[in-house]
Amino acid sequence: MQAKRRDGLNQIYQKKEVIEDSFFKGRASKSRASGNKVLKNRLSKDDREAYIMISPFFIFFVLFVLVPITVNFVNSFTNYNLGKTRGFVGLENYIKLFVDRDFLRSLWNTLIYAAFSVIPLTVLGFITAVAVNGRAKIFYITRALFVFPYVTSMVAVSMIWLYMYEPTTGVFNKILISLGFEPLKWLFDEKLALLCLIIMNIWKNIGYVMIIYLAGLQSIPENLYEAGKVDGASEFKMLFKITIPMVRSISFFIFVTTSIESFKTFEQVRIMTGGGPVNSTTTIVHQIYLRAFSEYKMGYASAISIVLLIIIFAITMMNMKLGKGKGQNDEI
Amino acid sequence: MELIDTDKKTKKKVISANNDREKKVLIAKPCARAADVLDFYKISTLIVVVLFAVVTAIPFIIMLSVSLQTMKEIYSPELAFIPKELQFVNYAKAMKNGAWGRYLFNSVYVTVIVVIISLLINSMTGYVFARIRFKGRNFLFILLLVGMMIPPQVTMVPLFIMMKKFPLAGGNNIFGAGGKGLINTYAGLIIPFIAGSFGVFLCRQFYMTFPQDIDNSARIDGCSRFMTFIKIYIPLSKPVLASLGILKFTGTWNEYNWPLIMTNSDNMKTVQIALTMFRDEAEILWNQLMAATIVSSLIIYALFLCLQKYFVAGILAGSVKE
Repeated sequence: MQAKRRDGLNQIYQKKEVIEDSFFKGRASKSRASGNKVLKNRLSKDDREAYIMISPFFIFFVLFVLVPITVNFVNSFTNYNLGKTRGFVGLENYIKLFVDRDFLRSLWNTLIYAAFSVIPLTVLGFITAVAVNGRAKIFYITRALFVFPYVTSMVAVSMIWLYMYEPTTGVFNKILISLGFEPLKWLFDEKLALLCLIIMNIWKNIGYVMIIYLAGLQSIPENLYEAGKVDGASEFKMLFKITIPMVRSISFFIFVTTSIESFKTFEQVRIMTGGGPVNSTTTIVHQIYLRAFSEYKMGYASAISIVLLIIIFAITMMNMKLGKGKGQNDEI
Repeated sequence: MELIDTDKKTKKKVISANNDREKKVLIAKPCARAADVLDFYKISTLIVVVLFAVVTAIPFIIMLSVSLQTMKEIYSPELAFIPKELQFVNYAKAMKNGAWGRYLFNSVYVTVIVVIISLLINSMTGYVFARIRFKGRNFLFILLLVGMMIPPQVTMVPLFIMMKKFPLAGGNNIFGAGGKGLINTYAGLIIPFIAGSFGVFLCRQFYMTFPQDIDNSARIDGCSRFMTFIKIYIPLSKPVLASLGILKFTGTWNEYNWPLIMTNSDNMKTVQIALTMFRDEAEILWNQLMAATIVSSLIIYALFLCLQKYFVAGILAGSVKE
């Protein structure tokens, strides 16, 4: 197969060389303004073919991404609640947000969740990546192992941790009791519940951070370390003086992606705590879900969605503004 | 004999020379003590690896162990990693607790269709953006990138409304009123996953690395753009299709939010939704729940182990900034 394909390509190349110059040089230089009629026809035919080829995707994309986001924006100014009439209420939904204690609590929870997930994830992910960045067989096996939680679905992960946190039958309390400590209420404790979710999140996503960092580590030129060795620097010193500065832009990227992911937190909240106890684990997306699908306040839920969208866009923009031109990993 | 001896001698000489050089380095920087620290560094990384590996593995081991225990063992106050008797019957019981055949079929059906359609249209669109310079390309591409930033959680509410009001489906009239629309249908479950633009971006990145000459020469042979894509690009794009395929597969299979709001009949549940049914019962049957969790994750693990390389490549390609 491979050989056949290569032959085919070779033939194509050979034919190409014969006629290359006259026609394609002109086209390759992007001279659109050329008066050449043949070229013009050719281009428009290209255009048409391009439009036909991208149309299946763009039909889906426009209908199910762009239209919904527009509908969302429009709905956020209405009191729409499925079925009944859609009345324009201006900024009322947005003003209500500022005094909605549940929403403010969810915003706060999400911020805490993001902050306390992102920092440990970045640090621990980096440590893991540095530790497994070797050629021995044990490193290959453990690398795969670290990614396992990441490919497991959030539902499955939530189920496992739900069992471990369970106050009566769970593993953590059994360990605490056998060590002679008082058992804790974990997810049923207002102060602990969010922390429980954060720990689980770190466990699940460390593999992702590790993958990104590993790629970064492997792109650091080897000669920097050789130079370091010649100068007699210890491995730890090189870690701080070479590795960490070289992966700065990657760290920033990880910071951004993991915070965006944290802001989208929903599944584990719905499955493990239902937002409780006393709203101590409710998140922004969980509020959207509750408003929209248990109270049918579609307008209000849309307003919360828009707030979430603005937050995520702000983080992304920050990434584009600040993330550029730092470190070596800014290839296209 | 002599040969070997001289060899040894020269070797020794070389070694001692090396040692001398190292000594010099050490003398020059007495604080470094390279050799000792190197060992310490290696040991500490090994400790980190083992420690992290244990922490990562324990929840999985617990899952496996609980799935093979009796409820009595689970309720006993002692911590038991190894069940007294392996209760494989838990798996059979779990699969009978609800129509698991149906749930698995639903998940497989939705996921496979999503993967096939998105591979087709994403690679084709990616090819066009990478290779054809058409009017409005930049604008459309920026639109696509903006679309990539919009999280599905934000469009969840309006999409649900649109699906419910979908014209001429599920008893709806042409204005989308009266019936249930696409709720509880496969179409409703599948469509939003196809609309994502990440795959286009991934394929475009990949096709950008191809030499432009390929297109030019295919053109001389009278190939249309579409035929060039089918005949030349598709056979060469196994890596990107594998990457996109496994990412789409895991993403769709693991999805919880969308099936949660789109389905309410037992017939249309996907495995992720079905798993949460154990949770909603008065007494959670942990052993069956863990058994079902393992069953629902096996396909993902198998795929991941087979296509690890492509999975990582896909994640990395998505992480590269534009």
